Amino acid sequence: MSIIKIDSIVKRFGDFLAVDNVSFNVNEGSIFGVLGPNGAGKTTTIRMINYITIPDSGSVLIKEQKAGPQSQQLIGYLPEERGLYKKMKVGEQLLYLARLKGMTDRDARASLQYWLDRFGAIDWTKKNLGDLSKGQQQKIQFISTIAHDPEICIFDEPFSGLDPINSELLREVIIELNKKGKTILFATHRMEQVEQMCDDICLFSQGSIILTGSLSDIKRSFGNNTVRIGFRGDDSFLDDLDHVRINNRSANYAEIRLLEGINEQQVLRKAVDKVEITLFEFVQPSLQEIFISTVNDSVTRKAIQNKVS
Amino acid sequence: MHFNKFAIIFKREYLSRVTSKAYIITTLLAPLIFLSFFLIPIAVILLSPDTQRVVVVADETGTIAPRMAEMNPELFLIADETQSIDSIRERVMQGEIQGYVVITEDIITGDRSPELIYGGTGGIGFITEIQGALRTSIRNEKLDRAEVPDEVRSIMTERVSLTTRVLTETGDEEQDAGMLVFLGIGLGMVMYTSMFIYGGIVMRGVIEEKTSRIVEVIVSSVRPFELLTGKVMGVGALAITQFVFWALAITGISALSAPILLYFFGSNASAAGGGADTQEALRAAEAELPFTMPEISLGLMVGFIVFFLLGYLMYSALFAAVGSALESETENQQLSIIVSLPIIIPIFFLSPVSTDPDSTLAVTLSLIPLFSPIIMPVRMAIMNVPFWEIGLAIVLMILTFIGLMWLSSRIYRVGILMYGKSASLKELIKWARYS
Repeated sequence: MSIIKIDSIVKRFGDFLAVDNVSFNVNEGSIFGVLGPNGAGKTTTIRMINYITIPDSGSVLIKEQKAGPQSQQLIGYLPEERGLYKKMKVGEQLLYLARLKGMTDRDARASLQYWLDRFGAIDWTKKNLGDLSKGQQQKIQFISTIAHDPEICIFDEPFSGLDPINSELLREVIIELNKKGKTILFATHRMEQVEQMCDDICLFSQGSIILTGSLSDIKRSFGNNTVRIGFRGDDSFLDDLDHVRINNRSANYAEIRLLEGINEQQVLRKAVDKVEITLFEFVQPSLQEIFISTVNDSVTRKAIQNKVS
Repeated sequence: MHFNKFAIIFKREYLSRVTSKAYIITTLLAPLIFLSFFLIPIAVILLSPDTQRVVVVADETGTIAPRMAEMNPELFLIADETQSIDSIRERVMQGEIQGYVVITEDIITGDRSPELIYGGTGGIGFITEIQGALRTSIRNEKLDRAEVPDEVRSIMTERVSLTTRVLTETGDEEQDAGMLVFLGIGLGMVMYTSMFIYGGIVMRGVIEEKTSRIVEVIVSSVRPFELLTGKVMGVGALAITQFVFWALAITGISALSAPILLYFFGSNASAAGGGADTQEALRAAEAELPFTMPEISLGLMVGFIVFFLLGYLMYSALFAAVGSALESETENQQLSIIVSLPIIIPIFFLSPVSTDPDSTLAVTLSLIPLFSPIIMPVRMAIMNVPFWEIGLAIVLMILTFIGLMWLSSRIYRVGILMYGKSASLKELIKWARYS
C-alpha cells in the first residue's frame, strides 16, 4: 500500500520551473531513496510532502488524505540545513517542537525521556543548544525529528556532517524505526548508502523524475553490461576503446560500461595486448553508474529538445 | 488558523523574551531613570553646602535694619553705631562677612537706590533675597509713615493667580495647551522609539530563525502564517507588559515623590495647608510652580495604547517581511531604510503639528495610516480631536494592517526558505507574486 502518493505535481518560482510534473509512490514500511544532483528539485518536492509549500498543480496524498496540517503530524522531517534555537535550553526546545507536532505535554516528556536516554543526552537538557558540540547538536536535532513517533520519517542528507560513530548510530536507529513499520524517505547523493539501505528509489534531474522503481528491478533492467578491470601498465589503451563509457578511472583500475557495438570479449582482447590484467569482472552496473549515465542521457535529451523547440 | 499551535508559539515568543536579562534590565531601568529626574534635584539641594551668609546693614535711620533682621536674623546683622563703614569694608575684604548695605533717609524717600557691596559670591539667589527684604522693609516703613490702615495693606499683599482653561465645542473646560505641546511631542517621540524597538525585535526574531535554519523545522509543523502571527502577537504582548509596568511604576513613583518634593520645594505652601492635608498642600505647591503639571487623561492613555498597538502591528508586518529577506541583520540596509522611512518622516512634522494641531496638514498626516500612530497621539494630547477623525484613522490603520499582513506573509513564507544571500527589493516583489 502506498503511504505517500504524488501525482503530477508542478512547482514554479517565477520563471523557474523547480518541479515539473513529478509523480511517484512510496510504499508503507519501505525505505525510499530520493536521489539527484543539487538543484534537481528534491528539496522542493520534500517540502511539498511536508506541506511547507503547496504545489501549483497536482496532488500530494498522505495516507489517502491531501497533505495538510493533519498530515504534518504524521511526518518527522530532518531538513538538509540543520538548525535549532541556539539560545534556548535543549529540554525546553525539544518539548516545544514536540508540542508543535501536536503531542500533549505528558506524552512529549515521556517520549523525549526515552530518546534522550537512548542517545546519551539526558545531561544536556538544561544546557543551551549553542553550548553543545556540533555532533551533540546533530543528535538533538535527530531526536526532535522522531520524538513525536511519526509514521513517516523524512531525512534530507541525514549523514552529512556526522562522524563515523554517530553515522553508524543513526543508521542503526533508522533501520530500527523501519523494522517498527515506519516509512523512511531519504534524500541523498551518497550512492553507497542508498545501495545498502533503500528498497525503492526515484531519481531527479532538472525538476523531473527520470527513473523510479525498486532498486533491484532497476539494477536488473540495466543488465550485465559493465566490466571492472584492474591492470598494470600504460592505461592509454582505455582511450582507444570505442562504444564505451568509462567510470571510476584511476591509474590501474576502471569501470567500463559497454554500449551498443562492443562486447566484453573485445575489450578483454584489446586490454591483454597492452597491459597485464590483474582483475577482470563482468557485473551489474553500480548505482553510481546508473545515476551518472541516466542523468547525462536526460540532460542531453532535454538540451536537444530545447534546441528543437 | 490552528489556535492551539498559535498559542504554543505565542507563549514561547512571549516567555522566552520576558524572562531574558536584557528585557528585565531595561524594564526596571526606565522607571529608575524617570525617578532620577525627581531625585537628582533633591540630591543636589541636600548635598550643596549650606554656608551661612551674613550681610551687615548699616542703617542711619534705624528703621529699616530691624525690619530686615526680623525677617532673616541669620542673614542680616544690624551694624552697631561704633563701627565705621571702613571697618565693615575691611571685614568683607577679609571674608568674615559677605556684604553690607548702607541705608540713608533718601533711600526711604525713594530719591536714591540702595547699594549692596559684597564679596562677589552667593549668586542670584543671595542677591534676590536681599533685594526682596529691602523692598518689603522699605515699603512697610513707608506704609507706616503714611499711617495706612490694615485693610489697605492686606489688599496690597493679596496675590492674584491666573489659571487658564480651554473651552471646547462640547462646553467642557480643559486644561491649558502650553505644557500639553511638550506632552504631545514627548508621546510622539516615545511612539517613534517604540516602533523601532519592537519592530526591530520582530525582525531580529525572524532573522534568527532563518539563519539558524530552525524555521524549516517549525514550518513542517505549523503554517508560516501561524508562526508569523504568533511571533508578532507575542512581541506585542511583551510591549504591553512593559508599558503597563512602566505606567504603574511611574504612577507609584509620582505618588511617592510628591510629598518629598513638597517637603523641599513647597515649604510655604505646606505651611499654608497646615501640613496635615497633603492633597491641599500639593495643590498649593503646584500653584507655586511656574507651570501647571499636565494631566494625562485616561482617554489619552487608552488612545496611546490603541495607536501603539495598531502602529506596531503594521510596522512589525513590514519588519518581518524584511527580516525574512535578510541573511543577517547588518546586510541590505536599503530594505531596512525603506521600512524605517514612514516612521522617521512624521518626526519632522512633530513641531508644526503640535503648534497647530487642527491645521489641514496635521489632520491629513494623522489620517495617513503609517503616520497615524505617531501624529494622532500628538494631536490627541494637545487638543480634542473630533471623534470621527480618530475612528477613521483607526479603521484605515486596521485595513492597512490587513493589507500589509497579507503582503508580508506572502513574502515571508518564501523568504524564510531562501538560503544563501540576502534578497533585494526587486526579489521581494517577485516573491509576493508567487502563487
